[in-house]
Amino acid sequence: MKRLYQFECILFFRTKAAWWGVLILLLSGAAGLYLGKSFIDKQRSVIQKAAVLQPENTQRNLRYFGNELGLMLYHNKYTLVNQPDPWAAFATGQRDINPVMLTVSMLGLQGQMYDTDLNNPVNLLYGNIDLAFVFVFLFPLVIIAFTYNVLSAEQESGVWRIISAQADRPQRLILRKLLVRIAVVLGVALLLLLSAVVYLRLPPDGRLVWVSILLLSYLLFWFALSCWVISYGRSSGFNLAALIACWVLLNMLVPALVNIWTSWRYPVPEAMETAMRQREGYHEKWDVDKSVTMDKFFAHYPQFRKYPFDSSQAFSWYWYYGMQQMGDDEAAASTKAMREKLRQRQRFSNAAALVLPGIQATLQLNSMAGTDLQQYLQFQSALQQLHEEVRMYFYPLVFSEGKTAAADWNKFALRYFEAHDQRPDWRQGSILLLAALLAVMAVRNFRQTLKRSL
Amino acid sequence: MQTILLIARQTWKTILRNKASLWLTVLLGITLCVATWIGWQHYQTQQQQRLQYSKAVREKWVSKPDKHPHRMAHYGYLVFRDKHPLSFFDFGIESFSGVSVFLEAHKQNTVNFSEAGFSNGTLRFGEMSVAMVLQLLVPLLIFFLGYNAIAGERESGTLKILLCQSVSWRQLMIGKTLGLIAVSFTLFLPVIVLTIVLWAVLSQGQVAADAALRLLFLLAAYAVYFAICAGITVLVSAVSRSAKGALTILLGSWIFFLVILPRLTQAAGANIYPAPSKIAFAAAVEEDLHKQGDSHNPDDPHYAGMKAAVLQKYHVKDVKDLPFNYGGYVMAEGEKISAGIYADHLRRLTKIYQQQNSFTVAASYINPYLAIRNLSMALTAADFATYASFQEQVEQYRYQLAQRMNRLQMEYISNDKPEVISHDHWAEMPDFKYRFKAVRAVLRDQVATIMALVCWLGLMTAGLLTASKWARTL
Repeated sequence: MKRLYQFECILFFRTKAAWWGVLILLLSGAAGLYLGKSFIDKQRSVIQKAAVLQPENTQRNLRYFGNELGLMLYHNKYTLVNQPDPWAAFATGQRDINPVMLTVSMLGLQGQMYDTDLNNPVNLLYGNIDLAFVFVFLFPLVIIAFTYNVLSAEQESGVWRIISAQADRPQRLILRKLLVRIAVVLGVALLLLLSAVVYLRLPPDGRLVWVSILLLSYLLFWFALSCWVISYGRSSGFNLAALIACWVLLNMLVPALVNIWTSWRYPVPEAMETAMRQREGYHEKWDVDKSVTMDKFFAHYPQFRKYPFDSSQAFSWYWYYGMQQMGDDEAAASTKAMREKLRQRQRFSNAAALVLPGIQATLQLNSMAGTDLQQYLQFQSALQQLHEEVRMYFYPLVFSEGKTAAADWNKFALRYFEAHDQRPDWRQGSILLLAALLAVMAVRNFRQTLKRSL
Repeated sequence: MQTILLIARQTWKTILRNKASLWLTVLLGITLCVATWIGWQHYQTQQQQRLQYSKAVREKWVSKPDKHPHRMAHYGYLVFRDKHPLSFFDFGIESFSGVSVFLEAHKQNTVNFSEAGFSNGTLRFGEMSVAMVLQLLVPLLIFFLGYNAIAGERESGTLKILLCQSVSWRQLMIGKTLGLIAVSFTLFLPVIVLTIVLWAVLSQGQVAADAALRLLFLLAAYAVYFAICAGITVLVSAVSRSAKGALTILLGSWIFFLVILPRLTQAAGANIYPAPSKIAFAAAVEEDLHKQGDSHNPDDPHYAGMKAAVLQKYHVKDVKDLPFNYGGYVMAEGEKISAGIYADHLRRLTKIYQQQNSFTVAASYINPYLAIRNLSMALTAADFATYASFQEQVEQYRYQLAQRMNRLQMEYISNDKPEVISHDHWAEMPDFKYRFKAVRAVLRDQVATIMALVCWLGLMTAGLLTASKWARTL
């Protein structure tokens, strides 16, 4: 028995396709690891630079505007860093599109929190190469190359007739061939995963286990799909064409359709609405009586009523920050609507992912690596909290006409946000379920095909 | 000639007579129709939103009450990026570049709210547009339908017979290629008709000559692209030992050239020409600004010198006695300096991005897919050059807005106390209108990609014509 597998292995590695397949996976895997890591390393060095720049900028602002607290707060900025997880280099996800960090002043938050990083949009269009890309896109192709002719090659060379006449259970031969191929592909996958653990310093925790299970089920899905297609006993050419068509359909065409459908069905005019409302909410207050602003402000923050407001002054920072607050308050409804729209979008693509293993694997990997939209929305919420904290700290000082020296400016040094919500998601089981379904169908087909060929 | 046409017709018939081929073709045809329809719908939704909000912004701007002009400069303007009607055909970088930008005095803001920012990562799989189907899937279909064009004849033994019956290699190769091209055109022609109709509807009958030219060149470019793909298919089929071998080579190249290589070339460009991060960019701008002097510092030599010069010129002792508002004058000077420095840095940044992209342009010569992709994006105004010119025009508009407000301040605001000016002045500021590049400028920018397509066409034709020298007969 063991010798049979050995022979099968030797036979497999006598084909050029086997060596090419393994070589392509290893090379692209290494490229994916390197490019993913260098991308995240670049982000880390930007973060380091920011850690140096922020206190410098605060000191400079103090030098220029130190004698007027209101003006100082107008200029001074606070940064929240979206700290990359070690896994981010494995699946870079949305990290090229969403900013690495957000820097905001105490002015209206809604006018600042959607600012983007400087990016070459063409780089974003073509996308990064990381290990997740290799697993999701390239592994299936190699699996197809390894399996499409497992049965048909034997039939086409005429060997199959002899085997089925001599062996009592010829299906065993096909099974052996498939198992050898599965073992080789999984071996390469394991090797790449281990290299990733070492090279990216991934913590050997539960997440590693979940990612391994996810990748295993994804690769098995493609083997199952391949088996199902070849189980009909058609020619090599037909199998290859059909399998490539499956790959195009599952990893290209339908996801592309899902995307355009999402952006068409769930447009986000709320974003533009937010930008407009924030701007109007603040600016129109210059033209109305101060009491309009302050009444609303005290309704939001009753605790600040105790600071007397002098409405006879033509301008005061008290009033100014009150107006700024109005920009955020009046945009709040559309901000909420925007977030709800994004949740709807996520729900839709999560539903689509149930039948599209490529999307499912990508979404799960990104979520595990903390590089998805969900994580970024949490980051935005954390920024909102930081901004509120800044306001709550400085508002009383401004309202009581305090001096800059009275504030602790080190309190708001660079802050880091780390994703922590990376629990395993049972939805990834959909991939395994689909794989099982296809495997069962493949086995049934095989039996019929073999019966026919006898 | 007659032989060639005969072979072409025969090839076309055989392909469409095959049930599987017919189904594939029909399926792709349906996909194309769906892509056209969705692209069109998506364009309309997006464009309507942008127009609606642009209109609202304009109305709010004009209806502002009497104000101090500098308040108005800070109230600023919201600009929404215009979509070209042809962008429903090819989305290009549309989804990855921002949509709205807030313009105000002293400060250049980023273009925000890109579609990609609203996506949870599935956008990586691409978006279905007519261009995507034509660029990626039609070649695949051509490969599927044509891989056995020659190899199949050889395997069935008909190749020998054909060549004996005074059919030359040249006639055979060209005939087969034309047949394949004809099949791709049975898909492409309905798309052309549909696109023209929808585009005419979008332009509400007011078809601009420029846009018509863009469309014409676009369709011609795709026709050339399909011809190249068909030629490559027949060539590969002629050199391969077996039909299966031809199919394997074609599919392998499809994956390598259309899926892997584009990412690799762009990644290479981005890594070889590193672009500054946002904070590095801002710090560099800041540093240059400080070199020019600091308007916040009353003792700054640059601004002290400026003040002395102005006082001397108007023979007054105090800025309060100047015939114009001094604050407005200082801000106008400051805006001029800071906008100049920013524009300089932005130009350098754009240059770096162009260098990054130049890898993909250069790779057009080894990968015709990249040639058509770049050319198609450019002709549908969904490319980087269009985006860069949008940024440039927006910055110009912002500068004019700020300076107009500074001028108003200098003219109408006294030096003694802050005042307001009549709201009649707001309507004097024209609305922002994005101007797309003229098709001639687009073509001039795309000389390299056009040349790449021409080279490929030439190479393929030469290959077909010299087939007798190297093609496999047995």
